[in-house]
Amino acid sequence: MAVQSPPRPGADDASATGVYCYGVVSARDARPQPRGLGDMPVEPVVHDDLAALASRVPAGTVRARRRDLLSHMDVLSAAFEHGTVLPLRFGTVFENDEALVHDFLAPRHDELAGLLRDLSGQGELRVTAHYREDAILAEVVRESRRIAQLREATRGAAAGHPALIQLGELVVAEVKARTARDSRALLERLRKHALRYEVGEEPVQYELLRASFLVERKRVPKFEAELERFAAEQAGRADVKLTGPLPPHSFVSLSHGGR
Amino acid sequence: MAIATQGTARNYLQRAPSPSGLADVVDLILDKGLVIDAYVRIAVIGIELITIDARIVIASVDTYLRFAEAVNRLDLSETGGADITDLRGGDGGGARRALSGAKDKASDAVEGAKDKVGDVKEKVSGRD
Repeated sequence: MAVQSPPRPGADDASATGVYCYGVVSARDARPQPRGLGDMPVEPVVHDDLAALASRVPAGTVRARRRDLLSHMDVLSAAFEHGTVLPLRFGTVFENDEALVHDFLAPRHDELAGLLRDLSGQGELRVTAHYREDAILAEVVRESRRIAQLREATRGAAAGHPALIQLGELVVAEVKARTARDSRALLERLRKHALRYEVGEEPVQYELLRASFLVERKRVPKFEAELERFAAEQAGRADVKLTGPLPPHSFVSLSHGGR
Repeated sequence: MAIATQGTARNYLQRAPSPSGLADVVDLILDKGLVIDAYVRIAVIGIELITIDARIVIASVDTYLRFAEAVNRLDLSETGGADITDLRGGDGGGARRALSGAKDKASDAVEGAKDKVGDVKEKVSGRD
């Protein structure tokens, strides 16, 4: 399924194109960029004190490929270096510049301007932490007698042996319990440096935490220092990664209804 | 700049200005950002597959078996641990006894586990 521009009755659609929109910035911070989705130049579409970052897309050809996701992210990150950015959901396409203004920038002006003010000087920090498989499994074996015994008993057991399933179930439960405990502790330490945070719902295998934090730029060093301490404590047991500051992808939303 | 790291001999925290792996990018971008109106289309092809790939839920027999295998493969002499040295070279009975005691000692061990694991590792490799 590719993106289609909304049909416009009566228009000549032979050379139809759409306008891909990356995000909204204040007109003052808006700058063109040489390369966006499909290598098309990114131009600000200005309305009042707002500007949407947009580029042309041939109708029906935008696909959610890795390259496209990266383009979307890169355009927003580049704009973020010049000021506050409100990211739009990936894949948002308008019929043309006028539609972008009349359907989005104009009716949502006050709300967008308010968001730009609220999010000024803030960025999203993304934290991911993963256990090292051998370290966390060894810990589980050491700390659970039941698991240690089952492990001994199932050495050389045929694949699919019921005791193996039982062993695996216990190990999963133990790893999950550690995830819950460790992620709670880490969140507790980080949230005091953040304005808001959002935790990834379903933890992936051996994932300790996957979360985003909205942090004031001036408080980023404190946040980093806290995370650095945690990473040092976890050395050899878990690997901790910090990405950002990024545009506030996880912390923007519009009210719906009424336009 | 890197004032945060003073006092630590090594930088334990990995830092990146922006996500690099596909899973990280998908995680950051997809389903995030301002949503405008229903008639503005969103491209979704291929993405469901990527997200499912990135989110292996831990809840099936297959997963249990994988974990069991991983635990059985584990070489505790290499990963360290408070009682591991007792286990080495002992007969089965000794190992069993050491394991029974392990649980009680474990909770004490957890406190200093990180340091100890390092110590034990050194000890083990020093002996070999």
